[in-house]
Amino acid sequence: MAIKSGGLDRKSKAASEIPSSSLADIAFLLLIFFMVSTVFRTDRERPIEWAAAAATEKIDEKVKNILNIWVERDGTIWINDQSIAMEEVSDVVLPLYAASDRHLVISIRGDRETPYIFMDQLQKELVSAGVVRVVFATALERQMTGPRR
Amino acid sequence: MAILNQKKSKVSDEIPTASMADIAFLLLIFFLVTTTFPKDKGLEVVLPEEGQEVAVSSNNILHLIVRTDGIVDVRRGESTSIQQMRPDDIESVWRQEILNRPGLIAAVKTHPDAPHKYMIDVLDALQLAGAERISLQILEES
Repeated sequence: MAIKSGGLDRKSKAASEIPSSSLADIAFLLLIFFMVSTVFRTDRERPIEWAAAAATEKIDEKVKNILNIWVERDGTIWINDQSIAMEEVSDVVLPLYAASDRHLVISIRGDRETPYIFMDQLQKELVSAGVVRVVFATALERQMTGPRR
Repeated sequence: MAILNQKKSKVSDEIPTASMADIAFLLLIFFLVTTTFPKDKGLEVVLPEEGQEVAVSSNNILHLIVRTDGIVDVRRGESTSIQQMRPDDIESVWRQEILNRPGLIAAVKTHPDAPHKYMIDVLDALQLAGAERISLQILEES
């Protein structure tokens, strides 16, 4: 084993620095931990055309407390990738609202051409489920880009 | 010289692994920083709670009736005169009205067949003007 300097010298050389090879493992462990613990929104986007508004603001609520309700042009409602009849919306939202400790914010993602009657029915359903905070999802409209429709 | 030679060969012996951790952390921090979650955005409104209807003086209401073609009929309180305007013009109207009557409520009544975007246009104008008391209703045929 000892080739030149003898055992004593070798031993002191091994202890002279912190082993840095495992640092990479720690870094990767962290990387993988963050990758796994990151939760992305689950529902898929519905093909809708956004309404635009200049007063668009970011929702001041945690992502997990936001429920998307999609309203398509023909009045079909989609919640969490499932098509739901208008009358059942309050039954679906109510347990989710209770589970979120009344922090749930509904993001109504209506197509810009949806007749307002569907939006009104949806609002009535949400009111009967007790939800008060609602956001009409819109795309940010930049002003000074010409006349608005 | 002989000692120096020996040292040199030991250095090139293996790939230095000490900087591996730095590279990994660099990647970790890079991805942490560049990951942006798409934040939801829109126009926030607070719906009334069920059964929570408040009687307000009808003089304190600005009626905004959104028609199917996007034109808005504006009616002040109890007066019967109707002013027609585009959603863009509501912002300045509201700013003027709120000066005279600080507790003014905007009642947005949308025609059942009017596209959602026209209601959004009106809501947008009201929020731009800083309106806080907005009521969203459906236009009942009378």
